[in-house]
Amino acid sequence: MTARDTVVVHAARGTVALRLSRRSALLTSALWLAALALAVASLGLGEFDLRLADTLRVLGGGGTLIEYDVVVRDRLPRTVTGLGVGAAFALSGAILQRIAANPLVSPDVIGVNAGASFGALLVMTVVGGAGASLVFGALAGAMLTSAAIVLVALNRGLNGYRLVLVGIGIAAMLSSAISYLLVRAEYHQVLSAASWLTGSLANRGALHVTIIVATLAAAVPVLLVLGRHLRVLELGDDLARTLIGGAHRIRLALIITAVALAAMATAAAGPIGFIALVAPQITRRLLAGRSAALGPAAATGALLVTGADLVARLLFAPTELPVGAVTGVLGAPVLLYLLARANRIGHTG
Amino acid sequence: MNPDTTTTTTSTTPPTSTACPAEQPATTQPATELSAEGLTLGYDAAPVVQDVSVAVPPGRITVIVGANGSGKSTLLRGLARLMTPRRGTVLLDGQDIARLATKTLARRLGLLPQQPLAPDGITVADLVGRGRHPHQRWFRHHTDADDTAITAAMAATGITDLAERPVDELSGGQRQRAWLALALAQDPDVMLLDEPTAHLDLTHQVDLLELLTDLNATLGRTTVLVLHDLNLAGRYAHHLVAVKDGRIAAEGPPADVLQPGTIESVFSLSCAVIDDPLTGTPIVLPRPPSGGRRAG
Repeated sequence: MTARDTVVVHAARGTVALRLSRRSALLTSALWLAALALAVASLGLGEFDLRLADTLRVLGGGGTLIEYDVVVRDRLPRTVTGLGVGAAFALSGAILQRIAANPLVSPDVIGVNAGASFGALLVMTVVGGAGASLVFGALAGAMLTSAAIVLVALNRGLNGYRLVLVGIGIAAMLSSAISYLLVRAEYHQVLSAASWLTGSLANRGALHVTIIVATLAAAVPVLLVLGRHLRVLELGDDLARTLIGGAHRIRLALIITAVALAAMATAAAGPIGFIALVAPQITRRLLAGRSAALGPAAATGALLVTGADLVARLLFAPTELPVGAVTGVLGAPVLLYLLARANRIGHTG
Repeated sequence: MNPDTTTTTTSTTPPTSTACPAEQPATTQPATELSAEGLTLGYDAAPVVQDVSVAVPPGRITVIVGANGSGKSTLLRGLARLMTPRRGTVLLDGQDIARLATKTLARRLGLLPQQPLAPDGITVADLVGRGRHPHQRWFRHHTDADDTAITAAMAATGITDLAERPVDELSGGQRQRAWLALALAQDPDVMLLDEPTAHLDLTHQVDLLELLTDLNATLGRTTVLVLHDLNLAGRYAHHLVAVKDGRIAAEGPPADVLQPGTIESVFSLSCAVIDDPLTGTPIVLPRPPSGGRRAG
């Protein structure tokens, strides 16, 4: 029996049989189209306004030197970084939430983003590094934090709730460590660090685009191969181990991928809050009756960050808000809702 | 590569014959043997299961009983390779399961854990379909064999009509049937169930055990379950294993194991055993401390 809206594609005499949910495929395309449309719109909007046709002409290689400078050199890196980090945060959240069978186990809630921030900030203020060295700081910070969370929470197997509680504790410790770094830092460092710590897409350049595009290019193939195991991993440890050969290794590979995605997205745009938490939850509700598949979740994340950045740029123009301030306003109520619900039913399935 | 042909499959009510392929046990291939030899299992210093050797009769229903903390669930987990033995081996058709390829074991051995939790909002059909995971590859998600197995599993458990309902909206009995359908869709040679009747009312407990008995009679699959209720264990087990302090205290046909002396030593319960007037299986009656009537 196949679920109602499923399409099965057979090819190569039955050696290939892919199952696609029509709703999921439609939704993914629609969300990506919406994200791209917003992205193109955002390229034309701002102090230097362009009409849509002009924007497309500039992207196609036409336009004046000034138009090219504004659209391609100034705004395009910001837009591409936004789409990329949105997708990366959402993928990271969807993977971790499903493995832990708990929507609160998101990199932004359990401290993975905070670990990446601390690592990057350490490089920024103490080592005095910038650019590529921030990437290593963020990655090392996120990996060490995740390892610490898992080690502390580990007690005869992983339990979603202990992971959340330990993660929140470690995130709190990291936030005071971050405060300490800020107090010690030079004034000009503090200004840029503060904006970066809220999560900001301002002044993104080729480096940030490279970070996030390379990360996605590395992560997506891994997820194409291993992502299908999530539908069994989310059934709990015992069933996962009886239904998958080598469940432990697959789960570890997926967790490392998820942590790396969150770390690199943080390195590229700062710890933009709530995207990883909210995007999979929105996706799950849009998909009605299914788990948050990775494709639509990534599209939702890209759409959310692009939309939030547009709001951040235009709402109080010419003053610009960091995008993280907008996602915080949108995401915090969702976190409250999930917490309240978890309390009521005793679990956060 | 062929030009891709796109097929849209719509849910149809399966022919009932799929659910019950034969009246007699399917004898196309012999039922799978599962046994443990000198099995010692534990989490910390003290072993929970100690030096247990047990042969599960192939094609029959074996029920493990024992007091809380006696190690009966741990024994089941050891049989499912969810725990690495400290000593001893578990054999599936004579092969050490520790040496079996993990993917092979995933197709041959099915487990229904205690109180599994379904992901939020997923439908029954989606849940049951996940039991096909060990038969699928990343480039081959869905075959006709998958469809047949899922349809048959839902028909056999009587949940075909619930296919598109969210699992969270089902009653306890329906939900347990959905999980059982997942294990059936996996189509394993041996099925292990950890307290499948926990938290069900008596009607649904009997309902589920009747269903397991029917499935066992038609499919002849080796089945092992952990149960708390001695009277239900006595009624539905072909082979009964009583566990005490991590060791096997008694095993055999229910009528042989459920003797007042054995129950007294395994459960520290003074009791009388009578024959069930309906089935002739043993019924355990705990003896009141005073030895007489408590009321009126």
